Amino acid sequence: MSQSTVAVSELVKVFYDEARGEVRAVDGISFECQPGEIFGLLGANGAGKTTTLRMLATILQPTAGTASIMGHEVCAEPEEVRRSLGFYSASTALYPRLSARETLEFFARINGYPENRLAARVASVIERFGIGEYVQARVEKLSQGMKQKVSIARTVMHDPPVLIFDEPTVGLDVLNAIDMQKVIGEFREEGKTIVFSTHIMSEAEKLCDRIAIVHRGRIHATGTLASLREATGCHYLEDIFVHYVRQAEAA
Amino acid sequence: MVRWREVRILYLRELRAALREKMIVTNSIILPIVLYPFILWAMFTGIMFVQGQTEGFVSRIVIQGLPPAHAMLGRQIGRDDRIEVRKTALTQAEAERQIRDGDLDALVVFTAAPDQGQALPDNFAVTITSDAAKERSAGARDRLKGVIARHREAWLKRESGRLGVAPAAWQGFTIQERNIASSQQMGSFLMSLMLPLFFVIMVAMGCFYPAVDSTAGERERNTWETLMSLAASRGSIVTAKYLYVATMGCVAGLLNMAAMALSMKPILSPILAKTGETLDFSISPWAMLVGVLGAVLLAGFVAAGMMIFASFARTFKDGQSMITPFYMIVLMPILLVNGQGVKLSWAMAFIPVGNIALMVREALTGSFPWPQMAVTVVISLVLILASLRLATAILRFEDVVVGSYGGSLQRLVRDRLLGRSPKSTEVRT
Repeated sequence: MSQSTVAVSELVKVFYDEARGEVRAVDGISFECQPGEIFGLLGANGAGKTTTLRMLATILQPTAGTASIMGHEVCAEPEEVRRSLGFYSASTALYPRLSARETLEFFARINGYPENRLAARVASVIERFGIGEYVQARVEKLSQGMKQKVSIARTVMHDPPVLIFDEPTVGLDVLNAIDMQKVIGEFREEGKTIVFSTHIMSEAEKLCDRIAIVHRGRIHATGTLASLREATGCHYLEDIFVHYVRQAEAA
Repeated sequence: MVRWREVRILYLRELRAALREKMIVTNSIILPIVLYPFILWAMFTGIMFVQGQTEGFVSRIVIQGLPPAHAMLGRQIGRDDRIEVRKTALTQAEAERQIRDGDLDALVVFTAAPDQGQALPDNFAVTITSDAAKERSAGARDRLKGVIARHREAWLKRESGRLGVAPAAWQGFTIQERNIASSQQMGSFLMSLMLPLFFVIMVAMGCFYPAVDSTAGERERNTWETLMSLAASRGSIVTAKYLYVATMGCVAGLLNMAAMALSMKPILSPILAKTGETLDFSISPWAMLVGVLGAVLLAGFVAAGMMIFASFARTFKDGQSMITPFYMIVLMPILLVNGQGVKLSWAMAFIPVGNIALMVREALTGSFPWPQMAVTVVISLVLILASLRLATAILRFEDVVVGSYGGSLQRLVRDRLLGRSPKSTEVRT
């Protein structure tokens, strides 16, 4: 338990909506993640995955419950939490008027990467992600695939131990999506903790060490693909997912 | 909590990105330098052009009854290239018809001087018939009046000398104008008539697009969430954005003032050359300091106000619509204080925005009412602090910060800040 890099306990988020009144977007979610693990939140649109990840990234404040990243509690030490993680989602775009290099330098600096090691870090990230050819070009001039690489690069610029990917392949073509999955796999090999949300079953099946089935703001099952298969008697993740959703609906 | 290292990094990023955005560079830098000097130039060039058109006309006139003793006047008129004397005999009615039709510009009829005027031999009266509604005819009248008046004065002087009467005795009294203002004071006066109005407009314009760009623009570009996930504190982010918007407003105001001061002399020189006036449009060091202070105070307030309104917008277009009413409100006090003779009095020092314009105007004319200026500074600082306080209160609400709040500023203040609705979610700042 003490090794958990991400610890979430009974997390709740209530929104007030004028039309619907109080909406419990997240309703008591708990999980833990270890270094070198990809933990997947699998759920349909509106299940509460993004809200959960936004609370972990301290963009939203939990209504109840606790969450910590690298031992830093999200409510008490939000800046330390953000310094310890890289947050990537379809809605975290890049600054179009900065060049790729300026983007990387900015994200490293603002996330507290030491100034004396910054030049070397920028150089190594540029090399690793193969963005040297267009590193001086402004982001607004880059293709979707190039932007994606710069986006991932900026997420890890300050070398955070925890990475959050919220539906990272949404809007990408097949080749770019496969590239993205490959990169996420590499981060795991480096020992980073990855919290990953998706509604694409094959992606979760391929990438995740453990999967949490999320429906209507709650986790209905957590485990490895093998353990989920064993518990449900279903082979495909799609069937496993439907099994738990139906169970939840019936309850 | 605000960390100045973070503020510096975020501020520089905002500035760097802004200086690459055409709309911001145009509105906050190029327009302040070019727009109002250009308007001024266009206005005076237009005046000069119209004057030139009028002066270029040849006035077609008919003279009747010129006394033989004043034949010299006839010769003077005949020598004037701008006047064509037609040797046509016309009745008054015919002349009036031709003037109305535009075929003739003026009829000059000399008659004997009435009553006491006859005491002086060869004295005369003159009637000039013209159409004041026609520019060319009115121009002919003015030219004739000038020539006749000069002849009359010379003739009277000559006659009075012949009769042994001193000019003062027949002139009664004379008016001599003496302007004790130096060319620098006159230049400052002219600048003070125009600069404060343009100054306020430009500071507000300078803040406008950066305020929208740094709030609604971030949301529209999907960089808002990126920003929120940075390790910087919310306080540092808001401070950097505020300083960036205020800087752009301040720069716009000061650039405009400098451009106007530098361009007024070359723009006005054709007109000044005609009047023989020499004006100095330089700004004293103290006036410059007061200008900088005014720009900082005004930009500080306008930036805070505009960001409050723009923080409710989700798109650039929304942001523009939300800020525009505030922009108009900011300009309103200027209309109240822009009249001639309005001074930075104690009462005026309490009118926000207007007091800053008056403070700058006073400084430009070399007047420094320090106590009223101090009140202006205090009032402006109070306004800035109040705006920042309101901004802080608003940014406590999570849905406003993340851009999901669907209401307006007015509604948020009513429902949440004044506590009429308990439903609110708050975030750390």
